[in-house]
Amino acid sequence: MMDGIQIALLGAALAVGLAGIGSAIGVGIVGQSAAGLVTEDPDKFGQTLLLQALPGTQGIYGLLTGFIIMQRVGIIGGELLSLSVADGYAFLMASIPIAIVGLLSAVYQGRVSAAAVGLVAKRPEELGKGIVYAVMVETYAVLALLASIMLLFGIPV
Amino acid sequence: MPIIEMKKVFLLAHKQEKEKVFDLLHHLNLVQLLDVKNEKSWDEFSSLLEPDQPGDSAAEYDERITMIRYCLDFFQRHFPVRKSFIQQFTGAKLELSPPQYNQYVEDLEKVQEIYESCRRLEEELAAVRNEETHHLNLITEFEPWEPLDVPLEAIADGPFTVMRLHISTNDNLELIKTRLDEMLSAFHLEVVSSDHEYAYFFFICPADQYQLAQDIFKEKAVTTASFPGIKGTASENIAISKEFMATIGDRREQILNRVETLLEQRPMLMACYDYADNEYKKLDAVSNLARTDNSFLLEGWVPAPVLADLENSVTTNTETAVIMSRDPLSREEVPVLLHNQGPADAYEVVTKLYSTPRRSELDPTPYLAPFFFVFFGICLSDAGYGLVLSLIALFVMKKLKLGGMGKQLLKLLFYGGLSAIVFGALLGSYFGDLLGLPALWFNPLEDPMRMLFYCFAIGLVHIYFGMGLQAYRNIKAGQVSSALFDQGFWFIFLNGLILLLIPDYAAVGRWLAIGGAAGLILTQGRSQQGIIKKFLSGLLSLYNITGYLSDVLSYSRLLALGLATGVIAAAINSMGGMIAGSAVGTIIMVVVLFGGHIFNIIISTLGSYVHTSRLQYIEFFGKFFEGGGKGFEPFGMKTQYVDVVETEEA
Repeated sequence: MMDGIQIALLGAALAVGLAGIGSAIGVGIVGQSAAGLVTEDPDKFGQTLLLQALPGTQGIYGLLTGFIIMQRVGIIGGELLSLSVADGYAFLMASIPIAIVGLLSAVYQGRVSAAAVGLVAKRPEELGKGIVYAVMVETYAVLALLASIMLLFGIPV
Repeated sequence: MPIIEMKKVFLLAHKQEKEKVFDLLHHLNLVQLLDVKNEKSWDEFSSLLEPDQPGDSAAEYDERITMIRYCLDFFQRHFPVRKSFIQQFTGAKLELSPPQYNQYVEDLEKVQEIYESCRRLEEELAAVRNEETHHLNLITEFEPWEPLDVPLEAIADGPFTVMRLHISTNDNLELIKTRLDEMLSAFHLEVVSSDHEYAYFFFICPADQYQLAQDIFKEKAVTTASFPGIKGTASENIAISKEFMATIGDRREQILNRVETLLEQRPMLMACYDYADNEYKKLDAVSNLARTDNSFLLEGWVPAPVLADLENSVTTNTETAVIMSRDPLSREEVPVLLHNQGPADAYEVVTKLYSTPRRSELDPTPYLAPFFFVFFGICLSDAGYGLVLSLIALFVMKKLKLGGMGKQLLKLLFYGGLSAIVFGALLGSYFGDLLGLPALWFNPLEDPMRMLFYCFAIGLVHIYFGMGLQAYRNIKAGQVSSALFDQGFWFIFLNGLILLLIPDYAAVGRWLAIGGAAGLILTQGRSQQGIIKKFLSGLLSLYNITGYLSDVLSYSRLLALGLATGVIAAAINSMGGMIAGSAVGTIIMVVVLFGGHIFNIIISTLGSYVHTSRLQYIEFFGKFFEGGGKGFEPFGMKTQYVDVVETEEA
């Protein structure tokens, strides 16, 4: 029997999956730069770890969105709702902003953070500015998360 | 006044007191010295003034510094001191009391001796390393010939025969054998050993035929192995080298033990480094002054509030020094010292991470402080997390006695935690929904639109406040019209647009918006030439409304981060709840809850800090603050390795 629940779950899967892929790539890019720097200067581990953590947030935003969907449709903590196909699509669409923006913004944030690792290599005191550059990218992931959350809370089921 | 007034001071004294004056200034740590040579104001007197050079004793200190650095590097290579995770952010200096420090510094003469021991030990280590590689090479060379139980010196040319050891590739070996069979009437070839690539073989033939064999070998790229001066079989030689290798570990160990006994000098060296470095800087500072035959002149900046102190100590401690001071000239680049009192002090770190303000600007610190406090709280928005964060910040502050920006950052996190307690209680989040306490105000999870509205409202206040500060700057600079045109009209225009959205006030709003827009069109092009250009750039300036719109929308991140904290916390709680039940389950639940919430605190605190900073830097500073000033760097004690902690005096 095909009803809306599968479609809603596809939304949750995309939000967690795509944003998670983005973060994995972003964190990976920064990690490579950071490891290179730490071979020269092991004392920079703390600072570079901070930079590496920055593109990791998209994955968390995706998980968060996925979690809200799971909760709303009753996979966690309650009775499984029987959704109409239209409702299922509503959940899927609500997950789209964070899924797509999360995927791409994490990659680009990773690149900015990797460049910031280079900045920290030469001027460790300018860590703050490197973080601010990376956060400029994250803004759009935050906005996408906001859109996804508002959409999810707005679905009347 | 958050930006301290500076005075320019000139100090003139007799050359006999030069050292005394520099010692005094270094001790006082109040003056930023200027390079007189580069100051244009002295050009007319250049014939009278002659730049001073640091003396021989400076070179001596410099030499000591190089020696100590060498020793410390040497120690660090063999017995590294690793910084802990927190120290990587805060720096790790050795804490010394003044008597300890003085005692260490008295040993400055011993540096030479330690340096020489370090040099010797390093040479010994290098020698051991060389021998080790030498024997390792020998072993690899001998190994293929190990099965050959003939002494290597016996493999030599006789009167009628030639004996050789050769190496060829495995692939060529058969070919070589066939070619030899064809060409030579008599020979013997015996493969001693072979590995995955090469065959090692013994070869003997009549002396008069060797030339033929050699041609074949040349063609097939065969190399000759020879061991001049080596006696005994290959395996005997390997045994000798192996025996030697066995002793190398011990020898190295012995040398390192001797290095280790020197290690106890490390704190002394660190203290001496900082001492010598500061003494060197003191002596080197003379290059900043100008002198005549009998006197010298110094120029520098002093914060106005401490000028009297400086004058007092200089006059009481010296006999000839005279200090004059004046207000800075408008074209001079004056260093900036920020001084904020009370809690605002902590937020200086936010300003400094962006840029030191210029002297002509307002110090934004006291204005951003309340907004930073509130925004941080809304982003973290959990009373439990706030409490944990405050306690951790307090603990670290007590544990590590940090100065400067490290301490400010911890204080900022402490206040941030307090703010999160307030907003967590208002918005009903205590470790997410763990405690199930109701919100004192309302829960944004249930009514996110309402919270979004408040976020925009508070953002608008923030932006208006920034505009107000710019208007204040303009008025203070005597440009009342700029304040009216650039900030006033925008204020009217924006408010008009907002009122348009509220049905009851739409009529008023329309007129305000039209009035504001008209004012902007008429005034924003005022720097342009010609009436048409003025009008067009005035009209175009209305396009900036998109900037204001995106600025306000940007504050939605306050809601988003707040929701993220809350929902992740709730997710952790329900994961914990799913496992609970049996005894083992309960234990796992506690672990999940503890680890999960700690993780969320770290991630959310990081997010709150960086996004709150961004709102200050982009949305707020963009309205009134540029930065680009130079910080005040007084001439005084600066250390790299040790902190001399004044215990009672302070």
